[in-house]
Amino acid sequence: MELLEFLQYPFMQRALVAGILLGVLLATLGVFVTLRRMAFFGEGIAHASLAGIAIGILTGFSPLPVAMIWAVILALLIFTLEQKTKLPIDTVIGIFFTSAMALGVVLMNFTSGYQPELLSFLFGSILSVSISDLWTIAISTIVILIWLISSRRQLTFLSLSEEQAIVSGIPVRLQTAILYVALSVATVLGVKILGIILVSALLIIPPAISRLHAKSFRSHMILAVLFSEIIIILGLALSFFYDLPSGAVIVLVGAFLFLLSLLFSH
Amino acid sequence: MREQLQKTNNQHPMIQVKNLSVVYGHQTILSHVSFDVKHGEIAAVIGPNGSGKTTLIRAILGLIPFDGEILIDGQLPSHVRSHVGYVPQRFRFDPDFPITVREYLDLSKTHVHKYEYAHKLKEVGLETSILHKPLGSLSGGQLQRVLIAQATIDHPTLLILDEPSTGIDIVGEEQFYELLKSQRDQHGTTVILVSHDIAVVSNVVDQVICVNKRLVCFGPPRQALTQEKLSELYGKKDASLYSHHHHN
Repeated sequence: MELLEFLQYPFMQRALVAGILLGVLLATLGVFVTLRRMAFFGEGIAHASLAGIAIGILTGFSPLPVAMIWAVILALLIFTLEQKTKLPIDTVIGIFFTSAMALGVVLMNFTSGYQPELLSFLFGSILSVSISDLWTIAISTIVILIWLISSRRQLTFLSLSEEQAIVSGIPVRLQTAILYVALSVATVLGVKILGIILVSALLIIPPAISRLHAKSFRSHMILAVLFSEIIIILGLALSFFYDLPSGAVIVLVGAFLFLLSLLFSH
Repeated sequence: MREQLQKTNNQHPMIQVKNLSVVYGHQTILSHVSFDVKHGEIAAVIGPNGSGKTTLIRAILGLIPFDGEILIDGQLPSHVRSHVGYVPQRFRFDPDFPITVREYLDLSKTHVHKYEYAHKLKEVGLETSILHKPLGSLSGGQLQRVLIAQATIDHPTLLILDEPSTGIDIVGEEQFYELLKSQRDQHGTTVILVSHDIAVVSNVVDQVICVNKRLVCFGPPRQALTQEKLSELYGKKDASLYSHHHHN
């Protein structure tokens, strides 16, 4: 079948497996991100990860793990500043987002010659997913999903009413810190396929489409994952057939599905 | 833990408030408030608007910083939270949050059996058909009843309610006070509620805690709510109104 031709290529198989794993991870995290109005967090962490990628390229280490460690440090710094100061979280994120991105730009200036890897991180590339990347994505996804499943009641309560969650004895600070760390890891992993500029779309668009149709929390979660997978698989296939950047195509498919959902939800 | 709490029944009062003061900036909200509430008692916090009733509740729950000491069964509030049920004055949440009543009730700490939902909903005057409705679609009264159901579904050792009968009609109010009594009688739950309605409260509670920035009176309603104390609490003009209700 010509339509399934793209599945014969190993790079495409890796991209698809990575995409399916990231689809589940980003959609489930995205449900809590959108309910807690933290969409800017993913955007900020993704842009800030540029500095981590630059450090990886400059030092000769694999950029993905370095960027992940960098993003986790930033997430914990954002969490600490949010707790210790009276600054709103979007202000704190804004400061780190721009500063870290600026650092990334300055560091990139020290690398010599053309940097194809940098471009793939900026806009995403289905060619860039290596076997080691796939392992990193798979292990991280499993670990974060185990935490999400075991903490779903606490996270739901926390998203609905932080005060009620505190009174119920939920460790609100700890769970919020873990959520920030999980989000930063998932966002950096998503950078591989979607790129720094567009990765946060997968945290936002599938839960947004799902919310237009969901009547319960359970259906919201299931629909978000379902739409996320449709968007990624369709986006990857289209980017392969028309030789277009994967990140941009995935986001455009998501935006199209969102528009369709808007039309049919009323 | 619950067993531990119940075993220590005779060792500590359920709530000990010692020299509690709450100050925001230069404004004193509560000053040197002290009282004890015993296990299994129903106590009402009364006072005029802005007297610090909700602040007192929030301090007991450990939600705000304070000076002084608050112990729940001899322990810090943060250590016994999983045994406290709380119904806030206003439940602030996004009405578009996609969650059904059933899912909301499931957020309680223990696993709840199907038949318990029906029993609990009946206790608060709701039909089981409400379980599948989105939480954000409920009326004010229905939401208040669901909040009470959620707070009591796993039989907390301490139940704290901030103006719980808001939005509930008079018939529902009677049912609500019966629910509080049955929680106390069947499960030994200690109840603290904030109320404006002295007349109703006087017939239901064991203790009243009268606050107006400080503790004005404390004790069983008939002893604590004297004309003099009511005047001190509400001001001379309003006290006669409350006193009239009280003797009805």
